[in-house]
Amino acid sequence: MDFDTRVKLAIYNHFATTGLAPAPAEVATSMDAQVENVLESYQRLRAQRLLVLEADGASIRMAPPFSGVPTQHAVEANGVRYFANCAWDALGIPAALQKAATVHSRCAQSGEAFHLHVGTRGPEPSDWLFHCLVPAAKWWDDIVFT
Amino acid sequence: MLFFRSEEQVRGWCAAHNVPVRPLVRIDQLWTLATTWYSTRLKETSRRPKPDEMRGIFARLGLEGDFWDPTSDHFG
Repeated sequence: MDFDTRVKLAIYNHFATTGLAPAPAEVATSMDAQVENVLESYQRLRAQRLLVLEADGASIRMAPPFSGVPTQHAVEANGVRYFANCAWDALGIPAALQKAATVHSRCAQSGEAFHLHVGTRGPEPSDWLFHCLVPAAKWWDDIVFT
Repeated sequence: MLFFRSEEQVRGWCAAHNVPVRPLVRIDQLWTLATTWYSTRLKETSRRPKPDEMRGIFARLGLEGDFWDPTSDHFG
């Protein structure tokens, strides 16, 4: 397995286990690597759109579908609380974990609470809707806004 | 990318923000998108769909047109 794949898996496994973004030193320790090499890998993973980094180049804002910061889209699974980057990623977390989960979000207009149970084969029936403002070709122009 | 209780709420939000109403996606359609993008994300061999694959994924869900075309410059 190449180094970047190992870094990616270390990051994603940390998110899956804790719901939190790992610090570079935690990634480095988990794979017996140097922090400088991990940070170089972060840049390559960012270019592959597997990571979105804060301005310091070391803090993980997004490892889609996981968010490194709190958002309005929370997901609970196996006693762990996760934050998703958007409504799409809120369903992406149970899809990635391949575990049953409950999504907690809200209607962006009315603020009405939205709770959706998602089993391993999919969500319970729901007549709520998903709306994406940004066209597909522009999603990564500003992925935080998207 | 947001959740809404109804189409009426989507229209209200878009009017309040002075932005166009985009195609609406059902929760079952969103689950298909989520699993397609992320079901292998924790595995060594995961990969993101490429633009031509994205078009096919969207089309199979009935999500067609320039808005869903990752290579389009025209969004209506």
